Parts: sequence; C-alpha cells; structure tokens
Amino acid sequence: MTGGASVPRAARVGEREGHVEAHADGRWEEWIRAAEDPGGVADKPEALDDLMVLDLSHGHYGALLTATYLAELGAEVIKVEPPEGDPARGWGPAGASAGGDGLAFVAEARNRYHLTLDLSKREGRRLLKGLAARADVLIEGFAPGHLDGLGLGYRRLSALNPRLVYVACSAYGQFGPLAKHQPPEHDLTDQALSGLLHLTGDPEAAPVKVGSWISAYGQAAWGALGTLAALHWRERSGRGQMIDVSGAEALMRYLEYSVLLYHASGAIRGRTGLYELAVFPYTFVPVKDGWAFVAGYTDPNFRALCRVMGRPELGDDPRFNSTIQRTTMENEIALREEISRWSVNYTSAEILERVLADPGPGVIVFGPMNAPTATLAEPHWWERGCLRRLSDPVYGELLLQMPAWRMTRTPPRLKWPCRPAGYHNGLILQKYFGMGPSQAAGLAADGIL
Amino acid sequence: MTIPKDYFDWAARLFDPARIHEKPEALAGIRVLDLSVIYFGPATGDFLGEMGAEVIKVEMPGQGDVTRILGNASFFWKNVSVAFFCANHSKYHVGIDMHRPEGQELIRQLAARSDIVIENYKAGTLEEKFGLGYRQLREVNPRLIYVANTGFGQWGPFSKGRASYDGLAQAVSGLTAITGEGEVPTKIGNYLGDWFGASMSAVGALAALRWRDRTGEGQFVEMAQCEGLVRAMDWTWLYAGLTGRDRQKVGNGDHVFAPSGVYRCTDGYVAVVAGTDREFRGLCRMLGEPALARQERFATAAARRERPSVAALDAKLAAWCRARSRKQVEAAARKVGVAAASVMTARDHAESQHLRARRSVWEYEDPVYGTMVEYGPAPKLSATPPRIKWAGKPVGFHNELVLKRILGLDDARIKELEAAGAIGRWAEGRRGAGPPEGWKGEGRLV
Repeated sequence: MTGGASVPRAARVGEREGHVEAHADGRWEEWIRAAEDPGGVADKPEALDDLMVLDLSHGHYGALLTATYLAELGAEVIKVEPPEGDPARGWGPAGASAGGDGLAFVAEARNRYHLTLDLSKREGRRLLKGLAARADVLIEGFAPGHLDGLGLGYRRLSALNPRLVYVACSAYGQFGPLAKHQPPEHDLTDQALSGLLHLTGDPEAAPVKVGSWISAYGQAAWGALGTLAALHWRERSGRGQMIDVSGAEALMRYLEYSVLLYHASGAIRGRTGLYELAVFPYTFVPVKDGWAFVAGYTDPNFRALCRVMGRPELGDDPRFNSTIQRTTMENEIALREEISRWSVNYTSAEILERVLADPGPGVIVFGPMNAPTATLAEPHWWERGCLRRLSDPVYGELLLQMPAWRMTRTPPRLKWPCRPAGYHNGLILQKYFGMGPSQAAGLAADGIL
Repeated sequence: MTIPKDYFDWAARLFDPARIHEKPEALAGIRVLDLSVIYFGPATGDFLGEMGAEVIKVEMPGQGDVTRILGNASFFWKNVSVAFFCANHSKYHVGIDMHRPEGQELIRQLAARSDIVIENYKAGTLEEKFGLGYRQLREVNPRLIYVANTGFGQWGPFSKGRASYDGLAQAVSGLTAITGEGEVPTKIGNYLGDWFGASMSAVGALAALRWRDRTGEGQFVEMAQCEGLVRAMDWTWLYAGLTGRDRQKVGNGDHVFAPSGVYRCTDGYVAVVAGTDREFRGLCRMLGEPALARQERFATAAARRERPSVAALDAKLAAWCRARSRKQVEAAARKVGVAAASVMTARDHAESQHLRARRSVWEYEDPVYGTMVEYGPAPKLSATPPRIKWAGKPVGFHNELVLKRILGLDDARIKELEAAGAIGRWAEGRRGAGPPEGWKGEGRLV
C-alpha cells in the first residue's frame, strides 16, 4: 500500500469469509504468520469502519493520538483545524520537516480527513454541530470548559446527539479540586505528576524523563480503551457518555505498587538507577559493543544465567540464592559487578547466541540497547510490518511506525499519512452538508474554512 | 477564552465519585479468562475488569503468580508482596494445573463460556505444550477473542524461543537510547513496556469485541511489547528516515519546547515547561523579568530552543526554583498559565485530595486484606465509571465458586479434581500464595 489519498472502503459487515487460511493443521508459527500476513491487510475488513470520529485536538498530542488509534482501527476520523492549521503542525525537532510540517505532527496525524473550521465564528460552530450531531465520538484536548463556553461542550452536544461519546483530555481532569484554572498539559509535567519521573534516574541526581512523549501515548491508550468500552455499552443502552482522561493519571496507573507500598509500609519508592526494588538481575550491563539489557530474576532463570556465564556456583552463593537475597541493594550491586565483568568480554550478538543455545531449565532475557538506527537495521521489524517506508505524493519519502496490534480478522492499517490543513474540505462539506465547490469557496472567503 | 462559571460544578456532578457504584458497567456480562502471568497479561485482564468484565484468573496451584513473591523483605505485607495487587483487582482466582489433562479440559470448558482469553506465554506455547492455543479454543468457542501478549510477536526472526520483559523492550526498541543523557543507559523506573503494552492490548481486545458485536465473529489479537514501545516513540523513526541520524538525547529538555526542565526546590523537584509564546511570556512574568520575552534570543519558539538560549533559561529557572518550595512554584506558575508540576512521590499521591476526589488514588476495604490504597482506573467514564471492587486473592480462592457457578460441577467432582491435582489452592507455608496470618475465612463465597 502506498500513501495515495485512497478512499476508505464502505462498511463491510457480512462480507464473505476472507480469512487467509494456511494449512489448518500446519505449525502454529506458519499458520499465524499467514493469518496476520502484512501483505494481506488490505483484503480484510476493519473493526471500526462504521464509526465517525471528530478529532478536535488543538496543540494536544494525547488527543491527536487517541484519534489516531481509532483511525488505524478503521474509524473515519475528521480532524477539525482552525483555518491557519493546528498549532501542533509546528511541532518537531529543529532542522527537519516534512511537507513544511513538524515531524511530531506528520508522524501521527494519519488516516484522517482534514477539515478547517473557525470555531470562533458562528457559522463555523454551526457546521461543527452539524457534524457532531452525526458523530459517534468527539475527542478534544482544550482547557476544560473551553468548548463548553463555545456551546460545543458535552452538555450541548449530548442534547443534539445522545449517542455521542465525548473524550476530553487534560492534565488534571475535568473535576477535582485542582481542575479549575489548570495550566496547559505537557508531557514533562504529566510525567512529573504521575510519579514516573520520581522513579527514573539515579538516586543522587535529578529525576530523568522518558525520552518520547510517553504520557500522550498512555493517555491515548486510555482514551481509546474508554471509548471502545463506551461504544460497547452504547450497543445495549443506546446512550453515549463523557470520558475524562488525564495524561498524568494515565502514567500513574502504570506505577505498579508505589502507593500501596507507601500505605503498607510507609516506604516511598524512589529512584534506583540501574538497580531494582522488586526483581534482580534486571538491568543494563556493558558489552563489548555497547550496552545490553539482561534479566533472570526467578530462581530457575537466575541459575540459567549463571550457567551461561560459566559461573554455576553463583546460583548457590548465599548472597544470591533467593529472590529476597538478590533484591537487597548491597547484593544487587555485587551481582551486577559479577555480570558486568563477564558481559564486557563479548558482543551482544555473542551473548544472545549463548542465551538462545542454553537448553534450560530457566529463561534468560537478553538484548542489545539499540540506537534507533540499530533497530532499523534489524530485519525482524520490517518483516512484521512494524515499520514502513512509503513514498507519499504529498509529503514525500516517509518512514513511519505502523499500528501496534495484529488482528487476524480486522487488522489495523495505515491508509495515508498526514495531509495539509483543509485538504478534505470539499469532500466533507459535500458528504455531510451537500455543499458544492462554490459554497465551499464562499465559506472560505468568509474566513469560516 | 471564557469558561462558563458553572462548568466545573456540572462536571463534578456528572462524574460524582460517590455515585460510581450506583452506575452500570460498560463491560458487564463480558467474561475474560486470564491465563497470563506477571504484569503484561494480567494487567490487560485487569483493565477490562475495571470496565466491568468478569475476569477469571487461572494460576498454578501451590505458588501461583510470581508477582506474589516479587521484591525484598520490605515488600511482604499480609503474607504477600505488594507487587501482586496492581494487576489483579476484582478477579476470581482459580488454581488449575494446565499440565494435567483434566486441567486442560477445565480451561477448555471455561474458554467455551468466555468472551475473551488472555495469555502471555512465548509464541506457540499454549498450543504446542498444552493444546490450549487459539486454534484449539476456537473449536469450542467460534466467537472467542484470543489476546496474546509477547515480547516480539507470534512470528518473525526474534519470536522463536526469545523471552521478553519490559526492560528488554526498552532496550531493543530504541527508547532507552533516546532517554536521559550521556553514555550510561537510563532504565525507566517502572515496567513501562508491560503497562503500556497491556493497555494497548486491551484496546485491541475491545476493537475485536466491537467487530464481534457487529458480526458475531471472534479473532486472534496480538500485542508485542517491543513493538508497543516502537509505536510510542513519536517522531524518532520519521527523523531517522529523513536524516539517517539518531535522535539526540536531551535529558529533561525537549526538542520542540523550550524551556523544559526539572529543577530542585527546597522540598523536592519540580518540572517546568513553556511551549507557546504566550506561555513563555507568562514564564517571564513569573520570573519577574517580563522584558526577557522581547529579547531576540527568546522572542520566538525557534530562538528559544537554540543551545545558548536553552542554557540561559535553564540557569534562570534553576536559580528561581531553588529558593522556593514545589507548591510555591506550582502556585506561581498557575497564576501565569505556565505548566509547572511537582515531581510527585507515592506519599504525595497518597495525600493528594485531588487524586482521591477523582478516585485515581482509591481507598477501599477488602474482606481479606483490610484497608487498601491503590491507583484507581485512569479513564473516568460518566455513565459507566470503571471501578475497583475487591483486592487480589490467594491462589485458588474462588475455585468452588467458579467451578460450580460457571461449569456446574458438584462437590464430588471438585474433590476428584483436587485429588488428581488438576485443581488446587495455595500450598500451606508458601510465601505469597496464601491468606494473611490469622485469616479466619473472611471473604469466602461458597
């Protein structure tokens, strides 16, 4: 599939059985490979291709991504931007852009119909309401209450369309003592509020953030999960609802036992650098050609690691012979030194070969710390269609990460990458309002589009 | 921008946490059979359970899930590791030995009566070792949605025999290489690859459920945690594709927004970011230097992210924050519309009135474990709020309930299965597997 401006297929409920079926009695690996064949994706239906989603993200990555996930799974997503374009179009690293837009935006604004509407004008709001009256889902990341003030919040839109699922993204949420007058949402401040920042880095140094805008990815996962749960319930009840998703809470839910440990013992989980409170070894060690991750923390797995290191006696060492012993800080430091003294003599490929050749019992988890370009050099991701290069007629040569899920019946997919603001104005106005080119031109002249 | 005066009162009523348990659940009537272990799998089941699905967690009799014994001595509380609970809320716990034919038959029967099965074994293990793979289970339940979580996926060069943990996903995806500063890798402090992967796999499960709602068809859904983190690296790949270069590490800075940093306060750390010009003007007012915003080196977003500008603003912010508490910085930033946030600790979370009011920190009483304080469901749904009902339970705690209610087995058959070792509960004296000391049968259901 290239990135041409293809038109999504119509809903195909009840389509013929089109499963790619390998030999039903073949080996699992062969069967599942055929059933998930990335080359066969376009022949299969889409899980969400009966949904219409309005993406009102405006300088908000988590809201943008929520719509992206739904678009990958088949929804028709209409991205509504102000006439000058979403400010997020400017987001990207210095010194690189695609089609004049920032790389952060181009990487994720995919599979959409791009419509411009000036919501500060009455006619713009009228058109938005016309779309919302028929939408299944609306996603926004404005300051809480902003759209409500424009008469476009859930209060008003749910009266027009009781089946609407309305997703609002923000840092502190739509309710609670700190919801009023909240500052704009950013990934770094979300990582701080979530507590993840407090856990990452060395104990003596300042906390360190995750390098990508991970809170937005988490927020979008929760936004999409909430949306799909709400749509399932709508099948039974006929009613939509509002979903409030905080990017900070999105990551906080990923913090395992932190708050329970505090409740149970009063201990405050802190930064442990390359060490670990709960499991060890589970760390990075130096190898001949860089760094690698190694883990073997249950007893059988640790013994397997000792065997591969040629140090079986370490498995019986009283400092290391139980999970409790291996997770005292002093013993973790000693054990990491033992592993490093061994690992630094080999390349990560040499160690991986030994790990995979070990007959068991026990399982060692090992792999290199890849620079992104090293990941790109591994065939695995390309064979699986996890990454793809495409030559797009509008944005040129692009290398993009593909949808995260594999599904045998309704695989998600990339249809086309980003498009300029307002690229699909004609199509959307014609499709939803019956307006032809001259009416669209009139709206544009009035500054509505 | 005018926000209606009554907006927050309206929102507080719409989401009123006091009414959560009065409201229906989005996934009521959906049954999930959770055959998975540790976090990347159990968490998928947990997230569906928060939304109202009935989740049956299957564990090996005797010891059960390894999270029951994770951690050093400080983790043990009421005879179990605190690490166990976060992925195991409101589940029904059964102990079934999948190595035994009778155990396999029980799994097949439960799968026949379930909507979703979740597993996270190495690719092919359940089919080849236990006869409980997708191809076998769909024979007994054609509508089944089978969710398989792995490190590298079900097929492809890295899928064979290669196990994975979150830390490996951090390393091989490239995420570690774009995190932190300097040569030595920074390990992300939580099991991010497990949790993000688990929430994405729950999204995949529900997309499949929507397809089934429309057509009646089940399917196989897979999520690989390494691919999950590859997916979550925003513009890294696009940049590498266009320039052939690796994205540079910038620590707590940001390639797009400047200033961006984490600064020491009198009582901890605070994170501060100013993205737009408007936010930056606010920041300058906060620093008491409104004229800064007009200086050429700071006048535009592009100018502010030049190296000397970044360093100058970083130094100013560091000095300004150093003399203040986290709350003072947060309050001053709020006044001028700038994002500044305490680097919160678990104690900050536990004591936050805001998080408690939102049930993002959720306190409840469990019949076996007493008062629990945990992180609550992340998304808030107004009509069908997700919720915690009870805490994780000892291995096999609900054997009788599940086997009688769902499979209709009688006491005699249950006794036979126990005698054959196909089902069981916690082994006496096994740390982490059984109930707390002094348990007198509280919470038993049958």
